[in-house]
Amino acid sequence: MLTESDAKVLEAIAAGEQDPKAIADKLGMKVEAVRASADSLGEQGLIEVKKTVSEIFSLTGEGEAYSRQGLPERQLLERLGQGVPLSELRDPTLKIGIGWIKKKGWAVIEGGVMRPSGHVSAGEDEAVLQALHGGPRDASGLSASALAALKGRGLVTSSEQKSWLYRPTEKARAELAARSGTAGEAAVTIKQLTPELLKSGMWRDRRFTPYDVTLSAERLFPGKIHPYQRLLEKMRLIMLEMGFAEIRGDIVQSSFWNFDALFQPQDHPAREMQDTFYLSTKADLPDCSGVKEMHERGGNTGSTGWGGCWSEEVARQEVLRTHTTAVTIKYLADHPEPPVKAFCIDRVYRRESIDATHTPEFEQLEGVIMDRGVTFANLLGLLKEFYSKMGFHQVRFRPGYFPYTEPSVEPEVWIDGLGWVELGGAGVFRREVTAPFGIDHPVLAWGLGVSRLAMLTLGLKDLRLLYQSDLEWLRDTPISVYGGH
Amino acid sequence: MPVVRLYYEDLEQMVGASKETILERLPMMGADIGKRLEEDHVDVEFFPDRPDLYCSEGVARAMTGFLGLNAGLPEYQVSRGPIVMEVDPSVRAVRPVIGCAVIRDLHFSDPAIESLMDLQEDLHWGLGRNRRKVAIGVHDISQVRPPFRYLAADPSFRFVPLDFQDSMSMREVLERHPKGRAFAHILEGCPRYPLILDSDDQVLSFPPIINGELTRVRDETRDLFIDVTGTDPVVFKALNIVVTALAERGGRIEGVTLRSQEGEKVLPDLTPSRWVVDPAEANSLIGFDLGPEELASALQRMRFGARPDGSMVEVLVPAYRADIMHSWDIFEDAAKAFGYENLKAEMPATVTMGQSHPLSTHRSRVRESLAGLGYLEVMPFTLTSEHSQFELMRREPCHYTRVLHPISELHTMVRTDILPGLLEILSMNQHHPLPQRIFAVGDVVVGGRTESHLASASIHSGAGFSEVRSAAEAVLRELCMPARIVPSADGAFIPGRGADIMLEGRRAGCFGELHPAVITGFGLEQPVVGMELET
Repeated sequence: MLTESDAKVLEAIAAGEQDPKAIADKLGMKVEAVRASADSLGEQGLIEVKKTVSEIFSLTGEGEAYSRQGLPERQLLERLGQGVPLSELRDPTLKIGIGWIKKKGWAVIEGGVMRPSGHVSAGEDEAVLQALHGGPRDASGLSASALAALKGRGLVTSSEQKSWLYRPTEKARAELAARSGTAGEAAVTIKQLTPELLKSGMWRDRRFTPYDVTLSAERLFPGKIHPYQRLLEKMRLIMLEMGFAEIRGDIVQSSFWNFDALFQPQDHPAREMQDTFYLSTKADLPDCSGVKEMHERGGNTGSTGWGGCWSEEVARQEVLRTHTTAVTIKYLADHPEPPVKAFCIDRVYRRESIDATHTPEFEQLEGVIMDRGVTFANLLGLLKEFYSKMGFHQVRFRPGYFPYTEPSVEPEVWIDGLGWVELGGAGVFRREVTAPFGIDHPVLAWGLGVSRLAMLTLGLKDLRLLYQSDLEWLRDTPISVYGGH
Repeated sequence: MPVVRLYYEDLEQMVGASKETILERLPMMGADIGKRLEEDHVDVEFFPDRPDLYCSEGVARAMTGFLGLNAGLPEYQVSRGPIVMEVDPSVRAVRPVIGCAVIRDLHFSDPAIESLMDLQEDLHWGLGRNRRKVAIGVHDISQVRPPFRYLAADPSFRFVPLDFQDSMSMREVLERHPKGRAFAHILEGCPRYPLILDSDDQVLSFPPIINGELTRVRDETRDLFIDVTGTDPVVFKALNIVVTALAERGGRIEGVTLRSQEGEKVLPDLTPSRWVVDPAEANSLIGFDLGPEELASALQRMRFGARPDGSMVEVLVPAYRADIMHSWDIFEDAAKAFGYENLKAEMPATVTMGQSHPLSTHRSRVRESLAGLGYLEVMPFTLTSEHSQFELMRREPCHYTRVLHPISELHTMVRTDILPGLLEILSMNQHHPLPQRIFAVGDVVVGGRTESHLASASIHSGAGFSEVRSAAEAVLRELCMPARIVPSADGAFIPGRGADIMLEGRRAGCFGELHPAVITGFGLEQPVVGMELET
């Protein structure tokens, strides 16, 4: 409900008054009270409040004097005639003029005598001075550079002046109509079309009150899918288009699937407590004699293995998966017959402290192809295609190292303004990884951290924004870009 | 990853090529050059599988081959020397493996000393697993008198450790010396500690902790004694990497006779290991087409010894390479020599149909229904705390997964429910206009198993039961879930205003008006209604 004074102010605004002073005069209220009412009306979406701050310029005492007598350099010019020796110029105002007259090029000094140069351009500063002679005003119609120059000379000062402009919204009209009842005016014009008017056909004899359709209405906040989720979905679709089947797996994994099955030695630094979230629970393992043999002696692959003694107890220790590869290798172990094209896009966990570029959990995309006769060169072809579909058309390949692939490669994509950016890693699964699971054909694999990609494509400076969302950011991020496809 | 500082002038001298050429080709050898090139040096990261590249000498050695300036197996002479190291059986229980060598006639420049120090540190970190598996000591041999002895001594044995002036017992070294404190854990529980002595019982080293002050390496040092100790044969790899790097600097390698109960052997052993590889296998892995000659020549550029042998290639792997476990490791090097940029990057011909996971498809529809109801999606962390999940929610902890070493008190467990995370997000967004309606779809872990949930929350001055009841009914209807709604005893809701969603006789979700204690617990100041549902 509106208060009496709010309603009066609203009526005045609806009647076309725009600024607080005019409304105050009309209603016999104080300007502050009008502003308070208007703020409240603004919060209720009944009016739009446009606040502007303008700069008001006025002359200083010195400026005021010059506006009457002319700038010192003008006075000096008038005094010069055909030429005057500098020694005769003693008047303080004229002395001020000497520097300025030289700067403006109105005069030259030869042998101690100052003579007019004949090039006297009409000064914008003098025009401004004259304009301000009439009293303080804003900068409209005045040369900004001249104003700045005069301010610099201490002839003009400025101060801020705030002003408000009020305009009623559609909601205001409805509110006022509701307050005054529909009697009277409604008898001749229609505000709200009603079922009765339609049914009776009475609308044919009436006029509709026209609205100001240029006014904006209350802002709506539609329900939306998270921009990061939309990026994940886009990548999922690319993988589906390329013929990959999506797989999913558990967050909690045994060290066996997360590390050992991938031929990571049990004393590998990546397995240490400071990098991995370990749990107190132990998993039941499948038959792991093949993996044990591989770690210790290299199985029958011709590999040397890591040597030492592989411990099943260590492998049973559960962790939060540190990569989606844990899910992938399990899937390949269950599907050892070619061809397999599978991908996984899901959250992984690393023991990192939270800052702008690190979070302890983030999404990873990983894809594999296992088939007869596929090669490392095919993997490079696949990466080119994938990154190109992601919108990165320039890709180059640098040798890389990952414990479970050989050969390994680090793809880099070209991003304007950033140069070559490393984006993910790839390689062919080592024989030591595939052999214990009866996978006899090459497995091409690649993966990338999606949150890093999101930073690049969503223009984020802080990864945390993805997970600890600022709702205003979500409300403001558009779901698609017109003309952008 | 280890960072190696390369001084241009030093490197140009060792490689015999310009700085520009070297910098351009380095990444293609498997290095990550930082964005910053300094005036006289660059810091380069090498991968953990190539400890032989952790020093400028090793980089130069590899680079000369890669640039085709000096291909093939590097040859190092090991001369027979008089020095003997006696290995006492007492070390078996503590730190059984030792390797040593002597390097003579060195003339150290500053970059060379810096490079040796860095190499030592990086080997300790990488191969050495922070000194547990490998620790290296470098000594000025002129200060001590062979033969040397490696034994396990009583912790009360006294000597002057490096960087100190007074003698202290080995026990005190572990307690007081900075290196002692840093690495004491390696010797924890050992009754006797490893020690290397000369014939006058002067201390060279207390591995893996600290050297004696006596054998400190100085600018004028010309002859070095090197000891590498550890628990694993990788000790010999580390020794080979160090001695060959010093030989690249012009040092002369002299063998040391190791005498133990098992017998005698002379170290370092720089015999390359011999492999016979099949070019056909290389071609089918990499996707190029090299004959035995071409494969051999590519491998020579990676500093392997290689020669065609019929249809096969015989490969000699240098004794300093620690990464060659399988023939594929050799083939990868051939691919690097060939150049990744020269491979034909063609899509594989494998034809398969794409297939979305049913859960992903379903979740997309869940999102659609919630967005249609005017809810905004958020994606909170799944790591959370008991405080947020249970205490603030007035719920009993059950079947949840706790991590052993959390990064903070806020991230001690994996969520069992999503709703508390939504309340946290609302509390971060109180400065933004209301009403706020948010939802999340994602994984939770209950009883160690990953399950899929949906949760929603709505906050504004008029949030009430009928709003959330309507939303819950709409979702259940859209997702065709034949649920029964019954009164809930869930402490998160105002008594009499919470409901459980029953599916096939079990609780599959809940909704209601959140209890004022829950609302204020999360620092909120407006009524909130919420829902959680398995999906």
